[in-house]
Amino acid sequence: MKIVGVYSIKGGVGKTSSTVNLAYLAAEAGHRTLVWDLDPQGAASYFFRVKPKIKGGGRALLRGKRALDDIIKGTDFELLELLPADFSFRNMDILLEGAKKKPIRQLQRLLKPVVGDYDYVFFDCPPSISLMSENIFRAADALMVPLIPSTLSERTLLQLKDFLRKQEGFGALKLLPFFSMVDPERSLHQDTIERLSAKHKGVLEARIPLSPEVERMGIHRMPLPAYAPSNPASSAYRALWEEVAEAL
Amino acid sequence: MNPVVIDHLLADGSDLDTAADVVQAALRCQAAPPTESRRRYFDSFEWSLYLAGAALEEEVMGDRREVAWLDLADNGAALARQGVDVELGLAVDLPPGPVHTRLAPVLGIRRLLPMVSLACRSRTLRVLNDDDKTVVRVVLEQCRIAGEGARPEVLLPARLRIAGVRGYQREQEDATRQLEALLALQPAHAPLLLAALAATGRRPGAYSSKLDYRLDPKQPAEAALRNILLGLLDTLEANVDGTRRNLDPEFLHDLRVATRRTRSALSQVKGVLPPAIVEDFKHRFAWLQQVTGPVRDLDVYLLDFPKLKTSLPAPLRPGLDPLKDWLAAHYDGERQALAKALDSERFLALLRDWRAYLEAPSRSLAADAATPIEDVANRRIRRMFKRVIREGRAIADNSPAEDLHDLRKTCKKLRYLMEFFQSLYPTTEIKGLIKQTKVLLNNLGGFQDLAVQAQHLADTAVAMQAADAAPVEAQLAMGALISHLLEQQQRARREFARIFSGFDSEANRALFGRLFGPPTTTTSARHGAADSNRARA
Ligand SMILES: Nc1ncnc2c1ncn2[C@@H]1O[C@H](COP(=O)(O)OP(=O)(O)OP(=O)(O)O)[C@@H](O)[C@H]1O
Ligand SMILES: [Mg+2]
Repeated sequence: MKIVGVYSIKGGVGKTSSTVNLAYLAAEAGHRTLVWDLDPQGAASYFFRVKPKIKGGGRALLRGKRALDDIIKGTDFELLELLPADFSFRNMDILLEGAKKKPIRQLQRLLKPVVGDYDYVFFDCPPSISLMSENIFRAADALMVPLIPSTLSERTLLQLKDFLRKQEGFGALKLLPFFSMVDPERSLHQDTIERLSAKHKGVLEARIPLSPEVERMGIHRMPLPAYAPSNPASSAYRALWEEVAEAL
Repeated sequence: MNPVVIDHLLADGSDLDTAADVVQAALRCQAAPPTESRRRYFDSFEWSLYLAGAALEEEVMGDRREVAWLDLADNGAALARQGVDVELGLAVDLPPGPVHTRLAPVLGIRRLLPMVSLACRSRTLRVLNDDDKTVVRVVLEQCRIAGEGARPEVLLPARLRIAGVRGYQREQEDATRQLEALLALQPAHAPLLLAALAATGRRPGAYSSKLDYRLDPKQPAEAALRNILLGLLDTLEANVDGTRRNLDPEFLHDLRVATRRTRSALSQVKGVLPPAIVEDFKHRFAWLQQVTGPVRDLDVYLLDFPKLKTSLPAPLRPGLDPLKDWLAAHYDGERQALAKALDSERFLALLRDWRAYLEAPSRSLAADAATPIEDVANRRIRRMFKRVIREGRAIADNSPAEDLHDLRKTCKKLRYLMEFFQSLYPTTEIKGLIKQTKVLLNNLGGFQDLAVQAQHLADTAVAMQAADAAPVEAQLAMGALISHLLEQQQRARREFARIFSGFDSEANRALFGRLFGPPTTTTSARHGAADSNRARA
């Protein structure tokens, strides 16, 4: 089982859109796939038409009162399942602090019983650096980091790298930054992409274009490649998935 | 709770579209357009996938071709899928992917063979909740067994599958209850694949190269022995076609094992069949063993090649390539010779005559033909065990290699005897003894096979040299390989004493005595004999 966190300190950079589309493509390629919606806003759950609600909330989940098995929902797509969000996830750090031991390894612990059930797990992460994100870093094999081609997003990448460097035990965590919401019309975007790609090695080749079709996912409540398989943005996600699968 | 797949059979004669209308009237759902597909189900000759609770389905729909790994325990629900554009065969032929990952360890070196082909028409209806989310999948399906040759096509009963979606168990129960009330449904007792196999008269798991006879202890020895020999002949014949077509190396291997066992049964179970028959067929099966040998040797080489290569230091490895080319070049010639032998009148007559003899009414006048098989088995195993002990004890650190070879032969005979007659003895005990004998055989086999391989390599090097096909690098690499093999062989030799003393333990001897009757000489007397043997060696 490979675990991929789709993460950024910044909000609104395309984390949820990427999680939903990549997980769909993983399942379409025949892998048993789980999306874990860790964001209390429940956007990923919304895309899969699942109510963002867990009986007993995050507390019941962390205390083991509700097994993952009871909470996971099948989606409209074969081999693709979802662990929905719950509004109580907004207090996740408090809940994690309350864990008796190893508050930074709770996600990892919770996933243990389903290790044999999936080939890929995708975390849709809320934007922030918190105890929760530390849990994500500990559990994941790779972090995908969407970058909007701007100077500001370089700073968020540097912050993240800095954070990971200062902590113990992230040696094996693969960092997979990629460009998201790329506007082909804007030369500034192109310049930034070239500059950042040259400076930071490991930035993925595939780029997700800025596209109204991606925004429409909210209307369809479906992964983009499920209703517009030949749209250029779908092709971009497909290229991204292939690169990620390769990197894992 | 994992989702459950429930299969029903539709009442005779009801068609898919009418049933689909009923489902749509009863449940809020979305219907996908009907699809036509061709499916083939694959397994190895020995049903490795079926025995692991799985099935491999290839589905062709329009220009899309896909393989799926199905869970037979869950009515054939798919656990993994993968697009394909190659003919299915060996595990290495399938590109890496989720199905390959599951297939490779189960299939091993065997080849996938198509077991049954279906032409299917399906309609999928997704039952939706208020969010238009799929909560249950209803699949209506009508399949016919795709005609092979002139056989009329068999239409399988139409199926209605209610596939649960994880987390929506209640919705599945509701849908099931409603549809059961509206349609004339019967529970399907087997997944589609198994129903299709049954309709073609194929029995999954039917072939196994394992010896598994239920013998009656009081049965006259001749009848029991014929029974064993017939089973071996069935196994042998079952593997002829796969060997001739070279589907995978296991066909030839199983064929040879059945041949060797036949020879062993003929020569080891003495006094039961008429001596003239025994002599004649021993001779003819020895020929079969011999003509199948060269290809088997090359198979073993080629299968072992990657391992042999990695046993060399990296810089020497490319030097083995000319050897591989050489072996591959000789492979075709040897295969042709084998195919010719298997098509020869000599071989066909052997099978024919042997079956005719075994199936004819009993007529043996040999001394033990009418003795209860139990007594014959006890006697033969007892004697062979004693012989193993005697020969083993006589082996000292400086005994010549031939002594170990002889012991191996004796040991093999003991193993086969125990395997033939295992149903006459308590399962745990006899299995334990067979296993222990195998440990000893492994050691002896390692010793001998490594020596043979080293010798074979040396001969090959000479032949390659003569044909100007052995550059210096190849000679160096082969030399290094020979020394590696001989080192391993020496290791096996050093371990012999320890492994044999495990076999020759007090407890083991007592167990043999208990199972096969008391030895004819006392333990202490045999010790004496062994001591004097050792002194001589
Ligand atoms: N490639 C794109 N082209 C156009 N719009 C996009 C693209 N990717 C995402 N969007 C839109 O941008 C908004 C934010 O995207 P998304 O929700 O995927 O980001 P996020 O990083 O998950 O946000 P948050 O931090 O709030 O969780 C959404 O309205 C989405 O439809
Ligand atoms: Mg989001």
